[in-house]
Amino acid sequence: MRNPDQTSSLFWLVLGIGIMIGSLKYGFGTFIAPGAGFITFFAGAILSLLSLVLFISSFRAPEVRKGLRILWEGLEVGKVLYVLILLMVYTLVLKHLGFLISTFFLLSLLFRIKAAYPLVKIIIMSLSISVGAYLLFDFWLQVQLPKGILEGIF
Amino acid sequence: MDILNYILFGLGVALQPVNLLFCFIGVLTGTLVGVLPGLGPVAAISLLLPATFHVPPVASIIMLSGIYYGAMYGGSTTSILVNIPGEAASVVTCFDGYQMARKGRAGPALGIAAFGSFIAGTLGVIGLAFFAPPLAAVALKFGPPEYFSLMVLGLTVLTFLAGSSMLKSLMMACIGIVIGNIGLDLVTAQPRFTFGLDILLDGVGLVPLVMGLFGISEVLLNVEEKLSQREIFKTELKGLFPTLRDWKESIWPIIRGSVLGFFLGILPGGGAVISSFVSYGLEKKISKHPEEFGKGAIAGVAGPESANNSATAGAFIPLLTLGLPSNAVMAILLGALMIYGMPPGPRLITSHPQLFWGTISSMYIGNIMLLILNLPLIGLWVKILKIPYPILFPLILLFCLIGAYSLNNNAGEIGLMIFFGVLGYLMKKFKYDGAPLVLAMVLGPLMDQSLRQSLLMSGGSGMIFFTRPICLLIFVAVAVIFLLPLLPIFNRMRKTVSEAEET
Repeated sequence: MRNPDQTSSLFWLVLGIGIMIGSLKYGFGTFIAPGAGFITFFAGAILSLLSLVLFISSFRAPEVRKGLRILWEGLEVGKVLYVLILLMVYTLVLKHLGFLISTFFLLSLLFRIKAAYPLVKIIIMSLSISVGAYLLFDFWLQVQLPKGILEGIF
Repeated sequence: MDILNYILFGLGVALQPVNLLFCFIGVLTGTLVGVLPGLGPVAAISLLLPATFHVPPVASIIMLSGIYYGAMYGGSTTSILVNIPGEAASVVTCFDGYQMARKGRAGPALGIAAFGSFIAGTLGVIGLAFFAPPLAAVALKFGPPEYFSLMVLGLTVLTFLAGSSMLKSLMMACIGIVIGNIGLDLVTAQPRFTFGLDILLDGVGLVPLVMGLFGISEVLLNVEEKLSQREIFKTELKGLFPTLRDWKESIWPIIRGSVLGFFLGILPGGGAVISSFVSYGLEKKISKHPEEFGKGAIAGVAGPESANNSATAGAFIPLLTLGLPSNAVMAILLGALMIYGMPPGPRLITSHPQLFWGTISSMYIGNIMLLILNLPLIGLWVKILKIPYPILFPLILLFCLIGAYSLNNNAGEIGLMIFFGVLGYLMKKFKYDGAPLVLAMVLGPLMDQSLRQSLLMSGGSGMIFFTRPICLLIFVAVAVIFLLPLLPIFNRMRKTVSEAEET
């Protein structure tokens, strides 16, 4: 690919066509009685058209040597992926382990990402913030946070 | 005439203890998120939205509005002290505010920002009280075709003003319309683009979308950066009150900024950001000493800070009179009003006067609270700024996680938020703007509905949008906006703003 715009425009073009096909499946209807896919069909069509314009105009833009790698040059991408994995695991275990336990582990791991704090400090911070957040949201703001395996204790 | 009565009535509502309390919580939270870089008013409002479901509607709207204009106040503090704008509307304040701080004049810079914001906020509220009711009366005559045209105009103006490329912004608006229409079709009850996922049947929630696009993505971008130490001035903050000479140099910029900001705020898309830039440019142009700008001219702080505050008042006009949001914050307020069963629109002022006038008056009281809050508490805000990012970002993530979960106690909403977080992260990498997506997503279902109704009215002819005078006028305006980028001067202006937004 010549530059990031070219890559992204191709992505949107494929998505736009997908939206058009999907909309036709839901029913375009007629102009008198528009169907469920009427407005999304037009949105998809305009998106495809604009992506095509961007794709073509990206040929006039300067070529980027390193391709997409330029967007992540000199950055710590691994940390982004690590944070995302932690968040996804948190989503999956939240209900079973409960808010307190999952949040405690999540915070302890997150605090270590950008700095090297002593373990004791990390444990104290994570514990106090998890408990504090639980008290604030569950007791005070009445958000029902999942109790998980601690159900019955609280 | 009656306006004074209404304002007094509104003050009566706003001064009720519960509303005062929520106004206070709102402006305090607002200042806090304004101070913290990486957590803006959009994320804060969506975070607190679920918590307001247990609160009376008027109090919640008062609080959510407080967060919005409070953040405008808070943003200036970080711009002046650390040269990091707390949010986009305070970028300009860095130019001269930080230079003033370097010269040991951080106090007067913070002081004039607070006083300017207060005066602008006050003028903005008065403008809102005067302009909104007559506009709402006109809007009562609007039918589905007018609404559809207005929404097209709104999205066009937004894509024109926001972001670096109008083409990309338009693409994001298309995506937003599709996302807004995910879920059950209102007419045929057919699921659209749900991919068999139950969580999508009710549509994509605004909160996970916004928190993902603006909250999570921001954290991801910061996590991959190598940390740099923030430099905070160790100079003692003394003499927050500007001198007589400072006042002389600032009073006209404040007044000009307020008027400018208010009218630019009415336009969809980054009203506060644009108006701060335009005000700065204007002051520099008409100043007798333009060479002082960028080196610590107090007018360069006073004008933009006033403009971004009155723009927040202006932004309420389209929402409260037409029911159309002009930026992401207003879009969330629209969602909130719908949830409380008070759909915004021309009838809101007459059917829920306590909400309309109460909120407006609370903004006035909130501005006084901010003035009292900001000046003595600056020491506290500076301390908060010193929280290191390795500790701050897990907290921001935690708030987002709880906010998404608490919507309807479903971990699926967190999954959705993470998805939009990744999307927002990639969009920033590839230089796509999130604001048109959010606005189009909110307007999507409304556009779908009004377009279908219009076509039903006309018997399937698209000509209905060109035979009704108001629609025609609006579409002419849309055409003009599409042609404007062909003029080089407009491109230059857009470029400066978008470059500054990126910094």
